[in-house]
Amino acid sequence: MNKKQKFFDKFEDRFTNIIEKKERKRYYFNVKNKDIIEVADYLFNTMGCRLSICTATEVYDGLEVLYHFSDDSTGTIYNPRVKTSLENPEINSIVEVTKGAEWIEREMYDLFGIKFKGHPDPRKLLTINNPEFGEDDHPMRFKRDKNNRKK
Amino acid sequence: MSKCRIPLGPFHPLLEEAEFFDIKVEGETVVDIEMETGWMHRGHEKISETRSFTQSIYLVERICGICSTSHPFACVNAIEDIDNIQIPERAKYIRVLVGEVERIHSHLLWLGLAGHFIGYDTLWMWAWKYREPILKIAEMISGNRNHYGMMRVGGVGKDFDNELIPKIHPILDAVEKKMVMLSKAAKDDPVLKSRLKNVGILTKEDARDYCANGPTARASGLDMDVRRDDPTAYEVVDFNVITLPNGDVYDKLVVRVLEIIESVKIIRQCLDAFSKVDGPVKTEVKEIPPGEGCGRYEAPRGEVFHYMRSDGTNRPIRHKVRAPSFSNIPTYKASCVGIPLADALITLAAVDPCYCCTERSIRTVDTNNNKIDTDLLNISRDKTQKIRKDFLKKAKTPVERIFEKS
Repeated sequence: MNKKQKFFDKFEDRFTNIIEKKERKRYYFNVKNKDIIEVADYLFNTMGCRLSICTATEVYDGLEVLYHFSDDSTGTIYNPRVKTSLENPEINSIVEVTKGAEWIEREMYDLFGIKFKGHPDPRKLLTINNPEFGEDDHPMRFKRDKNNRKK
Repeated sequence: MSKCRIPLGPFHPLLEEAEFFDIKVEGETVVDIEMETGWMHRGHEKISETRSFTQSIYLVERICGICSTSHPFACVNAIEDIDNIQIPERAKYIRVLVGEVERIHSHLLWLGLAGHFIGYDTLWMWAWKYREPILKIAEMISGNRNHYGMMRVGGVGKDFDNELIPKIHPILDAVEKKMVMLSKAAKDDPVLKSRLKNVGILTKEDARDYCANGPTARASGLDMDVRRDDPTAYEVVDFNVITLPNGDVYDKLVVRVLEIIESVKIIRQCLDAFSKVDGPVKTEVKEIPPGEGCGRYEAPRGEVFHYMRSDGTNRPIRHKVRAPSFSNIPTYKASCVGIPLADALITLAAVDPCYCCTERSIRTVDTNNNKIDTDLLNISRDKTQKIRKDFLKKAKTPVERIFEKS
């Protein structure tokens, strides 16, 4: 049994919406917030993947963070996706698993306002020295009207 | 011993982007380093959401002036990944050719500046002299010395002119000869060795923990290269991935010199293939369906990562860009602590963040914010001078050597 199959079997009941792109070796799947540290730990320490980057996106019903774990021995990218709410976005930090997540989590807090629980240095990254942005300004968020629709 | 704070930046001679380094020193030894970024944040990701897919490629080309084909390369990979678009074989060779020409000139630029910062200006002049013909090749192929504008979704924008093959070969021969000479010089030169060997070591564990990539990771013994691991065009050529074990600045220099020689080999393979492989250079792509795609490319500095999400219109709804320095710069926390201040400069430069030049922006203050007249660049150069002098004292003069032989 190869590494990929083992991984999907181990977390079988905790993954939803699995999208496989076999030709290019890309795997996308949804993970609950409480499981992300365990999944990241398995990917980073057991499977030897490297955290390439994370992408935060604002979608119509909330915010989501897509982690891109790259397995350099096979050229595969595993993309666990964690969803969170618009009002109080909070996700568990994976800095305890890899220090490579430190800057990107600060960036996602800066641009999207997602709080990372357990981050050792939860400051802004990019707009920290910009006098036009306050602590509550998150430039990549959409402006929404009263009915929560995109303006 | 009293501690002193040395702020470097925000307009810093070592970085393409303005960044701020807060170096804490005890005597001459660096004990802690903190970083702040954000002065050059231009909001490319947000702008890209308002542009069409083709415009996005041109937009990301302007992120970096030196590795200007890396971002478009990764960007088209990401767009092609959404719909699994295959590109023609000739387009693959052209993409590889442009990418490798860029790698050579980017590595030579770093090599020259690394030499300049340690006060070894001969290396600087050599490296930049040989960079010039490489830029000429780029101009012959694309019409521009930089910002080639070659990448398109489904292929490349411009075909390669086969008549250029006999003009490019002699330039490559000359450059390769000089690079072999340079790699030998780097191995033999005692001053270069004593200045860079065991300086700013990034261990394999640290490199992995900080998710370092590119030559920074390869010099620390991590065997990874996106060109080989996740090829979208590079499967047509044959090359070696250079990996060295020590993780110091010297190894990072040697990795880059050896990579230049590999790149020359790759370009030769492309040139040989052009006369055999004919056909279109672009697949017609009508529309991008809804979906998401990840694209990556091994830039001269490491892995460039692009993520694209499409909703079926002609614009991306999310475009994430990650340049290699984003992962490599945090490794300073591991590599800079515990080394002398004079070595900090070359260690900061060793991961190849682009340079802006001039030492004017370095301002040194003590803990009370009073200015101290310390010039890092000159400290670094003085150290090389001292090593050179000490070495010359020990070395035998030419006259002594003659008598020794007889």
